[in-house]
Amino acid sequence: MTIALEASGLVKTYGAVRAPDDLSLAIPAGGVFGVLGPNGAGKSTLFRIALGLVRPTSGTAQLFGAPAGDMAALRKVGAMIETPRYPPYLTARDTLTMLALESGVRNADIGGWLERVGLSQAADRPTNGFSVGMKQRLGLAAAFFTRPELVILDEPTSGMDPAGIQEIRALIVDLAQKEGVTVILASHQLDEVKRVCDRVVILSKGKIAAEGAVDTLTASQVRLRLVASPVAQVLAVLGDKGEADGPDAVLADISRTEAPALIKALVEAGVEITEARWREADLEGVYLKTLKTAGAA
Amino acid sequence: MFANAIAAERFRLLRDRGTLFWGFCFAPLVGFFLSVAGEVFLRNLAKKPLTGMPLDLVGQVMKALGDGASLFPALFLAIGAAAILAGDYRWETWRLLTPRNSRLHLLGAKLVVVGEAILWNLVLTIVLSLLASVIGASISGRSLTASASGAGLAQIAGVLAITWLEAMTLVSLAAVIAVVARSPMGAVVAVVVVRFAQSILAVGLQGLDPEPNWKTLAIPGYSADLLRGFVSAPNHAGLETGPVGVALIVLLAWTAVLATGAILLFQRQDLTRE
Repeated sequence: MTIALEASGLVKTYGAVRAPDDLSLAIPAGGVFGVLGPNGAGKSTLFRIALGLVRPTSGTAQLFGAPAGDMAALRKVGAMIETPRYPPYLTARDTLTMLALESGVRNADIGGWLERVGLSQAADRPTNGFSVGMKQRLGLAAAFFTRPELVILDEPTSGMDPAGIQEIRALIVDLAQKEGVTVILASHQLDEVKRVCDRVVILSKGKIAAEGAVDTLTASQVRLRLVASPVAQVLAVLGDKGEADGPDAVLADISRTEAPALIKALVEAGVEITEARWREADLEGVYLKTLKTAGAA
Repeated sequence: MFANAIAAERFRLLRDRGTLFWGFCFAPLVGFFLSVAGEVFLRNLAKKPLTGMPLDLVGQVMKALGDGASLFPALFLAIGAAAILAGDYRWETWRLLTPRNSRLHLLGAKLVVVGEAILWNLVLTIVLSLLASVIGASISGRSLTASASGAGLAQIAGVLAITWLEAMTLVSLAAVIAVVARSPMGAVVAVVVVRFAQSILAVGLQGLDPEPNWKTLAIPGYSADLLRGFVSAPNHAGLETGPVGVALIVLLAWTAVLATGAILLFQRQDLTRE
C-alpha cells in the first residue's frame, strides 16, 4: 500500500505551544482523508511541514516516501493552505498561467479548470476584486489543474455560499472517485467531512485523539437512549455516564454488555422505562466527545 | 526548473505595470525631462543659440549611465527590486510558489529578473539620454558631436556593465533585507540608507587619503566610480590597473556574498506566515 503522507514523531514548537506534538500518522493513497481538530491542533502546521513551508522542530514528514519538501514528491502534490492569496495585479487566468510556468506544466487546461470551479466569467478580472469564495475557487483550481496525485486542502469551502459548497464537495468526490486523486482535507465543517471523507483523524493539542473510518468511529460511540421516569433518578444511577436528552429521556454512555445490568438496576430502583434504543453518534458527536475526552473541548 | 522559475517571474513582472513604471522607467524619464528642461533653461538664460558649446552624445550617455545607480535612481530601483523580492511576503503568496519549485530557484529567479529589469532600465537610460541630447540641441541651438573624448561603444558598454553591477550590489542587499524583514518597505529603506551612507563615507575617506586604499575600495559606490573612470578613459591612459582589479573584485564579492546570504536565509526560513 502506498503511503501518501506520513508523519513520524513530528513536533513543531511555537513558544510554549507544541502542535503537532510527537505526531505519528500514515495516510494511505486513495480516497478522501479528513483531518479534524480545533484551531491550534496542528492541522495546518502538519500540511505546511509536508509541503516544505515550515521545518519541524523534530521528527519527520514524508510525501510518497520522500522527505518533506522534496521537489520530485511535491510535483505530485497540489495544495491549498488556509485562505489562498494571490498577487493582486494578476487575473485569475494569469495566476494559473504563472503557476503553470512555475511548475513547468506546458499543456494545462487553464480555461477548463476555471470553468470547472465556476470562475470562467471572472477569468480575466484581477484577483484583488475577488470575494473570499472566489479566491477559494481559484485556490482549488490552482491545487488541481496540474493533475496531481495528492491534493491537500485546508478549509476548502470556507467563505463559500451553500450552492458553492455543494459544487466543490461534488468536485472533490468526483476527482477522488473517477480520477483516483488522493485528497487530504482539513475542515471544521463536520457535515462536509462526513459526506466526502472515507477516513478521518481527529487531532487535539497536536496529538491524535481518534482515527479511523467515519462509519467505524460513529458506530463505536453508540449510546443507549432511555425514555424513563423519573429522569432524575436515572441520572442519579448513571452518574457521569448519563446526560439528559429532553424532559423525559436520558442518553447513557455505556457499552452493550453493560445494558442488561443497568436496566435491571433502574427497574429495581422503581424507574419506569417506556423505551430503550441504541443510538449511533454522528460525526459531530464523535468529534466533540473525543475532544472532551482529550481535554480540549 | 530554474528556467521555469525565471519564466514565471518574468511573466509576473510584465503584468505588474506599477512596478515596471515606478521601479524601472520613472528615474530615466525624470532624467530625460530634467535634461531637456536644462537646455530650455540655458537657452532662455543666454537669450541666443548656444552654437559655441557642442553637445557630446557619448559623453551625455556615459554621464547618464554613470548616475544610473546614484541615490535618486537607486531609490526607484529599490522600489522595483523590493516589489519583486519581497512581494510574496507582502501578498502572502509564498505558499502558492514554494511547493512548485525549489527555494533556490525561486529567489534566484527573482534576482535574475531584477537583473534583467535593471539592464532594460539602463538601456532606456541610454535611449532617453540620446533623445534628450537631440531635443536639447534643437532647443538650445547647440551642435551635436558623436564623441568629444574619443570614447565609443566599448566605453558605453563598460560603463553600463559597471553601473549594472553596482546596482546589483544594492539589489543583493535588498534581497537579504527582504528575506530577513519580510517587508518591501524594509528593503527600500535599507538600500537608500546604505547608498547614501556609501556616498558620505567615500567622500569622507577620500578627504583623509585621496589615493584608493582598502577602506575606500571596500565601498561599492567608490569602487564603481573608480571602474567607470577607468573604462571611460580611452586607452586607460595614466591609470593604475591594480586598484581597478580590486574594485571589480569588491563589486563582484559584495553581490555574490549578499545574494548567497539571501538565498541561504530563505532556504532555512519558516513560512508559517509569509
